[in-house]
Amino acid sequence: MHLFIPILLLFLILSSLFMGTGVYDSFIRGAKSALPLMLQILPYMAAMLCALNIFRDSGALFVIEKLLSPVMSFFGIPDELMTLIMLRPFSGSAAIALLGDVYKTVGVDSYQGFMASVMLGSTETVFYTVTLYFGSIGVKKTRHAVPAALISAVAGIAASVILTKLMYS
Amino acid sequence: MMNAVWAVMILMGLLSGIITGQGDMLLDSMIAGCGEAVTLCVSLLGAYMMWMGIMEVARDMGVINVLARKIRPVMGKLFPNADDEAIAPITLNMAANFFGMGSAATPFGIEAMKEMQKTNSKKHIATNSMCMFIAVNAAAPELLPTSVLALRTAAGSQAPYSIVLPTAICSVVVFVCAVLSCKLLEKVM
Repeated sequence: MHLFIPILLLFLILSSLFMGTGVYDSFIRGAKSALPLMLQILPYMAAMLCALNIFRDSGALFVIEKLLSPVMSFFGIPDELMTLIMLRPFSGSAAIALLGDVYKTVGVDSYQGFMASVMLGSTETVFYTVTLYFGSIGVKKTRHAVPAALISAVAGIAASVILTKLMYS
Repeated sequence: MMNAVWAVMILMGLLSGIITGQGDMLLDSMIAGCGEAVTLCVSLLGAYMMWMGIMEVARDMGVINVLARKIRPVMGKLFPNADDEAIAPITLNMAANFFGMGSAATPFGIEAMKEMQKTNSKKHIATNSMCMFIAVNAAAPELLPTSVLALRTAAGSQAPYSIVLPTAICSVVVFVCAVLSCKLLEKVM
């Protein structure tokens, strides 16, 4: 796997040289287009991380977790995983940090640790993706993108709970 | 949709901060959030430049078009109103996700969105293919959940790989749900 990409790049650049398509100029043109792209998506990411930060630091997240806790435990989701589930759609790095916290507090090979691992491995950063991808092209009406992604995220959480019950030993 | 999500998060944050009497940290917290966005963007820029540069090399050689024509019959089912120009970066995005290269997946994904926007007649409204692409990306099936495995090993797990099979099954469930809910909701939204 770690040799696949370098070999692919080797072939790509060699054949570009043979075909005389100006490999250096092409690379520069592509790399240049990354700069306006970054400026385009920065405000969208700032808006999202700003909202995420105030939501977490003010204690609002904690209140929501406490309110949802009885519902969640009814569906077999342990309290330790609440923050992870709530923040997973917004930030990949926050989710990884929270997974580390779960491992530290209840142990990596615990029931909760197993469930958290499956959950994180099979779900994605829904709001981050929506923000980034629609932000980069300036689409305002996102229609069913968010609901569809959230439905599949809920299905992923449910599947993690069921599979952990079945396969954790 | 994003209007509502954003406003609710900010309002709840402000309210609970004011009620619990920690009004002075609210502003700091919001500014810190925006600052994190700057740091994140700058740290991603290197990978974006590298992958977008390579992608341009491949495009100028015509490799991208050949790839698109080969994969068209399969991907055309999921993305009926995406043309060849969009199919190629969509495929590259899903392949990068599958092999656990998140930093490459994002520039390919943005490229795909740009190509789909070119054939979009109402520029401010998302097309069915765009929504499908977002939903599928929210599932993003991976061959191996590398970051989770690394963290499990680092935490001293006795069986770090025990989660691979359930994670794979779970990813398939998420993927199928994403496709189905997209197909159902696109008719009503």
